Amino acid sequence: MKNKAVLEGLLFVVGDDGLKLSQVMDILNLNMDEAKELITELRKDYENKNRGITINFLGDTFKLTTKKEHKDFYSKLLQNEESNILSQAALETLAIIAYNEPITRVEIDELRGVSTGYVVRKLIARGLIKESGKSNTLPGKPTLYKTTSDFLDYFGLSSLSELPKIEETDENNESIDLFLSNRIEQKNNDDDLEILD
Amino acid sequence: MNYEVSLDQFEGPLDLLLHLIKESNINIYEIKIEEITKQYLDYIKKLEELNLTIASEYLLMAAELIEMKSKLLLPKKENNEEEEENDRDILINRLIEYQKYKEITKDFKDMESKRNMIYTKSPSKIETDIKIDNANKGDINLLIEAFQKYLERKKEEKPLNTTITKKELSVHERCVKIKDILKTKKVVNFEELFDTLNIPYVVVTFLSILELVKQNEVDIKQGNNFDNITISLRGE
Repeated sequence: MKNKAVLEGLLFVVGDDGLKLSQVMDILNLNMDEAKELITELRKDYENKNRGITINFLGDTFKLTTKKEHKDFYSKLLQNEESNILSQAALETLAIIAYNEPITRVEIDELRGVSTGYVVRKLIARGLIKESGKSNTLPGKPTLYKTTSDFLDYFGLSSLSELPKIEETDENNESIDLFLSNRIEQKNNDDDLEILD
Repeated sequence: MNYEVSLDQFEGPLDLLLHLIKESNINIYEIKIEEITKQYLDYIKKLEELNLTIASEYLLMAAELIEMKSKLLLPKKENNEEEEENDRDILINRLIEYQKYKEITKDFKDMESKRNMIYTKSPSKIETDIKIDNANKGDINLLIEAFQKYLERKKEEKPLNTTITKKELSVHERCVKIKDILKTKKVVNFEELFDTLNIPYVVVTFLSILELVKQNEVDIKQGNNFDNITISLRGE
């Protein structure tokens, strides 16, 4: 089937930019169901043990990626693998932005109880957050920040709706045990291609 | 009490407070401002003894806690009780709100490491081929010529070497100048000395004249109001 071969080539060419479903539809002249079908088919082909790549749905786009079971082999190519992970400060800041976006820097500072200017700048430099206009309600019209599609990709998410659920704190909660038991169960989402189902 | 004395392991004063609360096994909703303030200040003091610099955020929190505590010590008015409760509630809410995000970062860490199991690649470069016209095969001289022309153009582009010099004029210099003028001209009009109209020049000239008068080197004469003022060297 020619379309499948072209799709494979397209995914290879776009790399980590990824391919939107609408692009697949446009380029191959397919309707949405046909496009999803085609992607699912190709993904099934990749499930074969003899294949080293697969399709993942990250940051609202389809991307060719390696398979996680081969990670150990790729690690041998890397020299200092752990150096690139985010700090606790960066993770906290990202979490606050992701659940409250768009949000101003001062609001982040207030929630964390520390100044976050430096962390915010680093996150912008890494492309995980971006400016998103100015607040019209707050005095001085401070800059608002929100997460990017690179942020979603970085955490293996396809959209913000896949973020782990965070419980709204109930002001009437009298006991900390109750609060702790309300804590989000970690979401086990091994299948990143939920959209196709 | 035994403290692990390091601030690096905390992300800020809220994180430190949560740690202290956990350490002493109190329910977050039942914290007592008095106790938590004491623990917090003890910790900060320990750090100070070790000569560690403490980020201002920690000191700000210390100040806030002390303020809350001192309000508790004041004789109670009717409305005061409510206010105390508010301070405490605000702190508790901040702690719980912060804890919410702190907890969720564990999930983010998991997601991060899971995503790090797979790799993608950068997009391929798709560029249209540049067609090279081979019909007009030039020789090397043409290329050299073109390059020389380019270098000349480059030369033109270079900004002219201009240096902006600010000439400082001292009162002493100007005094010497004025005396020279007086030596040749004998008598000059006051206005004549202000031949250039820029502010430093005018000011320095005026100061020089005053200086010369003070040192009894020149005479200044004015016949009537609004007449010309004339200046001449004294004793000539």
